Amino acid sequence: MSPILAIAMALGAGILVGVSRAVNGRLSLSVGALRASLWNHVVGLGILIVLAAILRPEGMSGMKDAPALAWLGGPVGVIFVASGSFLIARIGAARTAILVIAGQMIFGIALDAVLFGATGIALKALGAAAIIAGIWLIQSRPKTEV
Amino acid sequence: MPQSDRPADLAMAFGSGGLLTLMIFFNASMAAVSGALWSSLAAHATGSVAAIALVMVLKRRPGTSRAPLWAYAGGLAGAVTVMLSSVAVNTMLALSGTIALGLLGQVGFSLASDRWGLFGLPKRRNSARELAGGALILAGCGAIILSGSNP
Repeated sequence: MSPILAIAMALGAGILVGVSRAVNGRLSLSVGALRASLWNHVVGLGILIVLAAILRPEGMSGMKDAPALAWLGGPVGVIFVASGSFLIARIGAARTAILVIAGQMIFGIALDAVLFGATGIALKALGAAAIIAGIWLIQSRPKTEV
Repeated sequence: MPQSDRPADLAMAFGSGGLLTLMIFFNASMAAVSGALWSSLAAHATGSVAAIALVMVLKRRPGTSRAPLWAYAGGLAGAVTVMLSSVAVNTMLALSGTIALGLLGQVGFSLASDRWGLFGLPKRRNSARELAGGALILAGCGAIILSGSNP
């Protein structure tokens, strides 16, 4: 695959994360965040069922060997989508996106350390410090004079 | 819907990032034994059941205004995201490049979305302070991605 196409696909995947949150956020203004998350999952399920019927990918039987925790991704995702739909209209798309990313990275480092042990700890500490400083900047208010 | 600067909302956004980490970890454990499509299908099926149960238990009244038809298509964008990123991961971008570019795309779109009030959401001006904070966070993400965190 040409590098330009690969880059466009990766960028496009990120853009669509933002589009999905904005579209669900608009729906939540009309029907509430939880119902917006419900619609997101039902519509996605319908699309994936059609895709699975067309592509008939292997691996379905492997699902019975999955650890119990592997079945929790869906329910956790419901809460995640509902919270994003709720927040985007309240704090804006950019603050929602960047704070979610910050949380994902900080919790990701912690999960990595628990599961696989700490590697590249100096860079991670530096990155975490920059993220925490960035969060502090975003949540702080300039002292208003006047 | 009023704009808010409540610290609780900002903390909720940060905390939901932790939920996203868990979600990706759980879905990846499913993908490891069944592949990306079955994993995504299982997550959407169990998610639909969980969401229906929550709606029934919480009995929150739905809003009164009508939503445009396209507002129901968030799940379509999500499904295409999974496809695009699972292809991009298998190019020379690898996982770290795909994640880094995905973060840039997401933040770039969000800035445009705030500026022009895309998709019927309120317009919002991001202050210089917020933009600087966002840049610091992205730089921190870059360092963490370079540290080779993902197995």
